[in-house]
Amino acid sequence: MKAAIYVILVVLAAIAPFFIPEAFVYILGLSFLFIILVVSWDVMVGYTGQVNLGHTVFVGVGAYTAALLQSPVRLQHLLGFTIPKVPIFISIISGGIIAALIGFFIGIITLRLKGYYFALVTAILPLVFMQTVFVWRKVFGGEEGFSIGLENSLSNTILGKYYIALIIMVICVLSMLFIVKSQIGLKFKAIREDEELAESIGIDTTKYKVIAFIVSSFFAGIGGAAIIHYRITVSPDLYDIPLMLLIILSAVIGGLGTIYGPVFGAFIIYLAKNWWLKEILSNLLKIAPIPINDDMILYLMLIVVGILMPQGIYVELKKRSWIAKKSNSSI
Amino acid sequence: MIELVLKIIVFGAVVSGIWALVASGFSLIFGVARILNFAHGTLFVLSAYFGIVLVKNIGVNNYLAFILGILFVGIVGVIVFKLTISPIKTHEVMVVIVTLAIALLVEQFLLLIFGEHGISFPSLVGGIQNIGGIKITNIRILSLIIAIATLILLEFFITKTKTGKMITATSQDMEAAMLMGIDVDRIYLITMFISSILAGLGGLLYSQIFATTPIVSVKALIYAFAIVILGGLGSLRGSIIASFIVGYVIVVTITFLGARWSEFVMLLTIISILVVKPTGLFGVEE
Repeated sequence: MKAAIYVILVVLAAIAPFFIPEAFVYILGLSFLFIILVVSWDVMVGYTGQVNLGHTVFVGVGAYTAALLQSPVRLQHLLGFTIPKVPIFISIISGGIIAALIGFFIGIITLRLKGYYFALVTAILPLVFMQTVFVWRKVFGGEEGFSIGLENSLSNTILGKYYIALIIMVICVLSMLFIVKSQIGLKFKAIREDEELAESIGIDTTKYKVIAFIVSSFFAGIGGAAIIHYRITVSPDLYDIPLMLLIILSAVIGGLGTIYGPVFGAFIIYLAKNWWLKEILSNLLKIAPIPINDDMILYLMLIVVGILMPQGIYVELKKRSWIAKKSNSSI
Repeated sequence: MIELVLKIIVFGAVVSGIWALVASGFSLIFGVARILNFAHGTLFVLSAYFGIVLVKNIGVNNYLAFILGILFVGIVGVIVFKLTISPIKTHEVMVVIVTLAIALLVEQFLLLIFGEHGISFPSLVGGIQNIGGIKITNIRILSLIIAIATLILLEFFITKTKTGKMITATSQDMEAAMLMGIDVDRIYLITMFISSILAGLGGLLYSQIFATTPIVSVKALIYAFAIVILGGLGSLRGSIIASFIVGYVIVVTITFLGARWSEFVMLLTIISILVVKPTGLFGVEE
């Protein structure tokens, strides 16, 4: 049943470009890549229960890795020797691999400890990586970032980019779904439900947390790399806190630990931010000039959702329907 | 050479004093209520902007605006706590996410109203002192004195007064404190008020020495946050010592490597300390 709905949705996505204007096709394609970022965050946070506040580190690392592989001159500043330009496919995969490697090192250091520690350290990490961009301007291009050139785009046409983005997204989401439905995924969930209990039945909790973190960072890197090949510019916004909050908002609205939920959450929030909200606001501001912008509305949403449903909309709804069922059956 | 060392010692002390105020406020509310208030840096800039508006737009006297600015963020802090933090107190991570969202919301609001250029609060005192061949403005000296005096007062308040002892009791064991008849919710509000005015005081001192922009709120948060985990979560003395470590790391880096390296080096230092000693310098095991 679920599978049928998803096949229909993918088919809908495949024919959508024939019915909507090209400018929106471009945004729709980017929203697919944003889905990868949100779902990969969910693999770590929703399945193992370890709150990663530094997911954008891996998005950014993936993006800058791919961008540098397309800009031999900048890469030479960093490494001291030249590497010939690689095909786009390889640069996207390399983005994922480098991000996963960094995830591995951060994971083995920070995931040994329980509780606050992981969330705290990951909250600082994006700021460290963002500073590298400002310190080594010649390599990373500073605040403005740099362009990798039109010829390194995913495709020459917007339509082509759109379909490649769709394919990348479907492959990534299916792979992550496969992982969390496997034996390994069960162990992730055991850690989330009760870390000490999981340990007592012989699960090496640190090992599986690190595995989840590597998976999560690998796909975040792929997402980041794909995004820069889509929009052909790389800039520090991919490391920044607003992107992190957008990912959190999408996952929380969609429902943590479900994969499907974050797909919808990401899709809706991304389009809301980049398409609907801007139009609504520009109309609103014509009538009443109040100091508000689209980001502020999203932050307000996050605050309201957070306060009313601190465990996320999905869990809250499930709980309520369960209570409703129970009260019905008792009558 | 001696002059350079002296300069680093003097300037580092001023910067460290201000960050010690901000960080001790952040640490205080965490220690007592187990809340990581990521909107702490927002309180820091809000006091400065409120004070500047009072002086420039309404024409309030400097000293009065200084005090009103501090009280204003105290009240804002209490309102934020009551409306947003208190209902979700038990979901620690949601508190982080919600307060971070508040911080970015206020930052955007300030950017829309005041723009991104830096503004300064008019100095409470003018003039320059010459200490061993180093010129230092009086306001910097005053800031250091205010910071040290406030920290001593805070220490006195926490350890000697009845309310202070109730705060300590709550931080040590919330349930036991409740059983002893302490109104824990009231203690949280008092602690939040103190924590906020410490941030506000830091912000008003900072804006007399450096230019304040809405983006400084994130910077203040990072500094406070980094200092507090370096000192050990919940340890007030740890955060004061850590602010001097961070303050001097920054001043030394700026002197020898340049300003753009300062945050990078500071964060790297903190992360390397955390790798070796995850609980921070004076942290207690949970």
